[in-house]
Amino acid sequence: MTTHSLSMSLRNEQGGLARVVVLFSSRGVGVERLSLRPAGPGGLFLLDVEVALPPGRSPAQLVEQLRRLVDVREVRHTDEELELGA
Amino acid sequence: MDTTGAGALVKALEDVGCEVIFGMPGGAILPAYDPLLDSVKIRHVLVRHEQGAGHAAQGYAQATGRVGVCMATSGPGATNLVTPLADAYMDSVPVVAVTGQVARSVIGTDAFQEADIRSITLPITKHSFQVTDPADIPAVIAEAFALAASGRPGPVLVDLPKDVQAAPVTYTPAPPADRRRPAVSPVQVRKAAQLIATARRPVFYVGGGVIRSGAARALFQLATRTGIPVVTTLMARGAFPDSHPQHLGMPGMHGTVPAVAALQRSDLLIALGTRFDDRVTGSLPHFAPDAAVVHADIDPAEISKNRRADVPIVGDCRDVIAALNAVVTATADLTSWWEYLNGLRTSFPLGYDWPADGALAPQHVIERLSTIAGPEAIYTSGVGQHQMWAAQYVKYERPASFINSGGLGTMGFAVPAAMGAQVGAPDRVVWAIDGDGCFQMTNQELTTCAIEGIPIKVAIINNGNLGMVRQWQNLFYGGRYSHTRLNTHNRLPDFVKLADAMGCAGLRCSDRSEVDAVITEAMAVRDRPVVVDFVVGQDAQVWPMVAAGTGNDEIMAARGIRPLFDEEDE
Ligand SMILES: Cc1cc2nc3c(=O)[nH]c(=O)nc-3n(C[C@H](O)[C@H](O)[C@H](O)COP(=O)(O)OP(=O)(O)OC[C@H]3O[C@@H](n4cnc5c(N)ncnc54)[C@H](O)[C@@H]3O)c2cc1C
Ligand SMILES: Cc1ncc(C[n+]2csc(CCOP(=O)(O)OP(=O)(O)O)c2C)c(N)n1
Repeated sequence: MTTHSLSMSLRNEQGGLARVVVLFSSRGVGVERLSLRPAGPGGLFLLDVEVALPPGRSPAQLVEQLRRLVDVREVRHTDEELELGA
Repeated sequence: MDTTGAGALVKALEDVGCEVIFGMPGGAILPAYDPLLDSVKIRHVLVRHEQGAGHAAQGYAQATGRVGVCMATSGPGATNLVTPLADAYMDSVPVVAVTGQVARSVIGTDAFQEADIRSITLPITKHSFQVTDPADIPAVIAEAFALAASGRPGPVLVDLPKDVQAAPVTYTPAPPADRRRPAVSPVQVRKAAQLIATARRPVFYVGGGVIRSGAARALFQLATRTGIPVVTTLMARGAFPDSHPQHLGMPGMHGTVPAVAALQRSDLLIALGTRFDDRVTGSLPHFAPDAAVVHADIDPAEISKNRRADVPIVGDCRDVIAALNAVVTATADLTSWWEYLNGLRTSFPLGYDWPADGALAPQHVIERLSTIAGPEAIYTSGVGQHQMWAAQYVKYERPASFINSGGLGTMGFAVPAAMGAQVGAPDRVVWAIDGDGCFQMTNQELTTCAIEGIPIKVAIINNGNLGMVRQWQNLFYGGRYSHTRLNTHNRLPDFVKLADAMGCAGLRCSDRSEVDAVITEAMAVRDRPVVVDFVVGQDAQVWPMVAAGTGNDEIMAARGIRPLFDEEDE
């Protein structure tokens, strides 16, 4: 398991958070910390999350999978040094 | 225009070009069915089970390249759509499912026929909407269609509470959808062209994305200009003509020896719209050990998922292949590569033995079907041995002529998918190649076909058993056939009588000498669906085979014959 911090901008009207969390559970990603707060206009929320990836999974791929979600407007992997080490 | 939510739904569907809906009404979707009765642009096909509606929408989508639409009521109607939605998600099929929902005021109260279908389908849809304001309906439908068809295609769900359908609303057309495709990086394309220019053992590893993107013609140009060998996955059969000498067939668990060898011994995989599925790669550490990888896919999440790409290219296959066509000039001398592959082609052609007991060989039936119905027909299949034989022994010459369930492997796919394909392509002959197990899961849609004038043809490859499972029991469980006997050889059910009862022509064939005549007779039936019960031997097996979890080098051309296995590696 490797731990990574992600930060995303999320539209949360129609179960956007549920979609993100279900993606984590279907892809075998553990959630170790999660915080959600409103961010600016347009119903956008900021979601900070610390995830545990199973061996052999790259955070870059998880970021791409999150980007597929319509409700996810932006994703950043906030621990670049861990990404390089992964 | 003043209307209701339901009226807005039907108008919005008409505006996005929907011409057919496969569905079944019920309480929560009743308001939507009322204006549907008056639509002259939309045909509704009343299915016998919502699973049939979903697979029909998939068959329609794949035969036409358009978005397939299915509709169901809340609760059990909606949950019956779960399997086709999961199937469409796995195989990247553009489908929009419209479901009724209980009224807004009672959502979350365990109301009658309430199921939270949006949550249930979260991991198997590209997106799902629940409309809470009737004024949003046109925009949501337009967005749902655009999402389903754009980028990597897939299923989208639109859930409509009953009171939203009933509410008065003014119809405002949605603005046209943005149809832009992502720009392809010229730098990456040039890098790929450089690798292509110098590779000694390159291969085009072609996937379903080439069919989805309509890139078969461009691929033909690129392949024939470069002379590089081509393999097509189960989802890409027909993306490159089987008759072309550069085509080595299907790779993977039941692929041809030369196709598997082309990947294994390659020094450059040019992967186009394919996702390195485990049925193709076998054990990943042993997959194509010497190959550099160029991977073009519209979905960045697929690139380097299972195998690291040396040159990732994000983009639509049409654009990527066009860009490659513009810059690829030379290739290295491929003579010795072709000598090697052609040697394998000669030594290990696809083939089969006739059953010793004189029973009909299933492979022969499918081969004859392919010859008689020809490449202009559309073929669908269920899941199992017959599916693999349909992939191996039908000769596909054009994209979208083989429609099957690859990623989810859904038994029961063939008949309803054929129904949808026939509606989308009324002038083509559509053959469902089905198993006796699969057929019993969804054959009720033959009644739908008979009533609606959808004259599909079904070839049941009746081996009396859940054949694919039986094959695994034979190979890996010491021949202990636990619960795989269907009794279909004892005419339980009698498929000819069943066909007759459903308003179809029913034929049977169990002798080699009758195969051509029966197929020809079935081809002549045009006024109703036809079912042929091909009674075949129960012990035929699908070969070649790479046992699950092993490396592709261990491919067996037939039982005990390992063409690529190097004894020194042992
Ligand atoms: C019993 C059984 C046995 C099987 N045995 C085999 C076997 O021997 N060989 C085999 O090949 N398969 C086999 N399969 C199928 C296998 O499970 C996979 O479904 C299949 O290999 C995946 O095909 P694909 O890689 O072409 O990807 P697909 O599932 O077709 O995915 C398409 C890819 O293209 C991308 N894409 C979509 N649209 C575009 C576009 N416009 N531009 C660019 N990219 C795009 C998508 O993002 C995706 O990555 C078997 C299935 C069953 C049920
Ligand atoms: C819905 C579903 N249930 C179970 C399976 C597992 N399974 C895969 S192939 C198969 C046997 C299919 O039998 P049949 O339709 O007779 O085809 P055959 O293999 O004999 O050609 C089964 C049970 C599946 N793929 N799908």
